[in-house]
Amino acid sequence: MKWSQFFNTSIGKKLLVGATGFFLCSFVLVHLAGNLQLLYKDGGKAFNTYAQFMGHNSLIQFLAWGLKIVIVLHAFVALQLTISNRAARPVKYQVNPGNQTSSWFSRQMAIMGSILLIFIVVHLAQLWAPFHYSDMPTQSYEGVSEPIKDLYSVTYALFQNPLWVVLYVVGMAALSFHLIHGFKSAFQTFGLNHSKYNGLINFIGLWLFGIAIPVAFAAIPVVIYLNK
Amino acid sequence: MEHYNMNLTLKVWRQKNKNDQGRFETLQAKNISSEMSFLEMFDVVNEELINEGKEPIAFDHDCREGICGMCSMHINGRAHGPWDGTTTCQLHMRAFKDGDTITVEPWRAGAFPVLKDLTVDRSAFDRIIEAGGYVSVNTGNAQDANNIPVEKHKADLAFAAAACIGCGACVAACKNSSAMLFVSAKVSQLALLPQGQPEKRTRALNMVAQMDKEGFGSCTNTGACEAECPKEISLTNIARLNREFINAGFTTEK
Repeated sequence: MKWSQFFNTSIGKKLLVGATGFFLCSFVLVHLAGNLQLLYKDGGKAFNTYAQFMGHNSLIQFLAWGLKIVIVLHAFVALQLTISNRAARPVKYQVNPGNQTSSWFSRQMAIMGSILLIFIVVHLAQLWAPFHYSDMPTQSYEGVSEPIKDLYSVTYALFQNPLWVVLYVVGMAALSFHLIHGFKSAFQTFGLNHSKYNGLINFIGLWLFGIAIPVAFAAIPVVIYLNK
Repeated sequence: MEHYNMNLTLKVWRQKNKNDQGRFETLQAKNISSEMSFLEMFDVVNEELINEGKEPIAFDHDCREGICGMCSMHINGRAHGPWDGTTTCQLHMRAFKDGDTITVEPWRAGAFPVLKDLTVDRSAFDRIIEAGGYVSVNTGNAQDANNIPVEKHKADLAFAAAACIGCGACVAACKNSSAMLFVSAKVSQLALLPQGQPEKRTRALNMVAQMDKEGFGSCTNTGACEAECPKEISLTNIARLNREFINAGFTTEK
């Protein structure tokens, strides 16, 4: 079987979704670590110097464009699979088993993924694009040679609007529901199902990626809004 | 267990043939014993339909002891009804109570076209088996039994996978109509044994290719198949199929 055929089979496509999913999981970890600096009460020095570094380091910029390609690939292949999965049952059942035979999370991957994709587009338009492509107020800090863009204050200004706070919390709820199933599901797709490790995989998938990370992300806009 | 009789309302899918659109028909099943199997209940209903000069409900059945895998009924939203680890013939009417309304649908999957009423065509499974679900055996004298050592644990796993009766409940239960549990059982029962090694790689590739060709959906690891399988085939088989397929795809030269 040639590579082109291999990655066109149902399992081959799932491997692409799983592999890109793992990469995206590693991204949310790094992204959260950086973003939590928004909560330092230092006038934005830590966060802004971090943003300045991330925005200008060529390796990071290379990865950042790779990340966007990975998101598009993940969404595109998953959409292809979802369409063919829906088509595999042309006549639907009148009575469905609901949660009796599978978890709610496992059946909502496409919906939660779509909400996340919308969230990502809004998020990039609100914070990433202005940072890279428009003039932003700058701020000078002691020990930093020249004034740097004040993304910290822009972010604080954004989350004074409760509408955006709600949108970000909804986005992170979608992330939570998506990863509660997605993380462990990717292991199964790679054939990594072993009684000695399943417990650990399920634990990390639920508590770290499914709950802790989305809650910490969602806490940022909420804390900023409540402290205004 | 206490015996009781019950009157039931059945909403049954009726479809004349492959090309008919089909519709639900509401029927009354009177004086049904709790000791009957679900199929025996259908026998009683059909008897009455025949006496009234009406067309009986077509449904598949063969062994009526839970091993043939013919009785493709989706009962109240569950493949083979509400009990775990049973086929429809092993589902007894004591699972229901007097006055219940029971909706009975055929398996729903593009790859399993409805032939009539509750009877579906599962020959897609046969074609998947033909694509690779076999081992090569030398002609000549039969070998002595047990002359190839097999690890006990692996023999047990292979046996558990071989319990699959090809009933299609996994496809019926899956929201994607995926046949992965079936294919994984058929791949695993051979891949786990020394006799299955010569065709190991082509088997995984060819059976998955045929599965896709038949129009089954892909697996999203919801676990509904495992929950509904009358032979309780484990999801670990799907992981094994994935490993077999990855290994074959990455290492075959053609």
